[in-house]
Amino acid sequence: MPTQTITLESTRFGSVEIPPEAVVDFPTGLIGLGGRRYAILARDEDATFVWLHSLEDPDLALPLTNPWRFFANFEVELADDEAERIGVDEAEETAVYVTVRAAESLEDFSANLRAPILIAHGSGHQVINQAPDAPVRAPLFANTSEVAA
Amino acid sequence: MLIITRRPGEKVMLGDDVVIEVIEVSGSSVRIGIDAPRSIPVYREELWQAVKAENEAAAKADAKLPDNLPLKT
Repeated sequence: MPTQTITLESTRFGSVEIPPEAVVDFPTGLIGLGGRRYAILARDEDATFVWLHSLEDPDLALPLTNPWRFFANFEVELADDEAERIGVDEAEETAVYVTVRAAESLEDFSANLRAPILIAHGSGHQVINQAPDAPVRAPLFANTSEVAA
Repeated sequence: MLIITRRPGEKVMLGDDVVIEVIEVSGSSVRIGIDAPRSIPVYREELWQAVKAENEAAAKADAKLPDNLPLKT
């Protein structure tokens, strides 16, 4: 684990200071994207979207959100071997995020409920959610088209 | 691509640690058993592709995302 503040030179956000405790190690990277060291960037504590930013690739960052902000009934179910692989123990100590596909209009924003990102004790894993109702593209703002963007 | 003929009960080794076993062949389906170290995640390919595509699409997002969004109720 790094013990000093890291300066991230992000193509999106410019120079960002990352405290060592904000660094998340992904032993097997993100699915299909790889990468090992990331940090969560948030504008403020209540931000709807936060960013999972690579500390290795200044251009690699994915918006994430707290799934329960949009999907009250969201559940994560892990296969036994996957739970064992990532070693999740106490659910309350695990932060759960889902990746967000942004779009021109809000109605086209979606979240991937099938492959949430679990973070606990500085370690992150993108897992396959076995829950029955967990599409890869769940609309975030379906039926809110009357609200101006 | 390496192509090997195997019968049910026969196995293939990927390196020293990953074992793939043909369990059963039934019509057009093949049941496969995979024994891999914990550090190696195993995915069905079509799901891996779908998640990879979502990750790549997410990574295209612009730095400016809307704030103060209406929440679904």
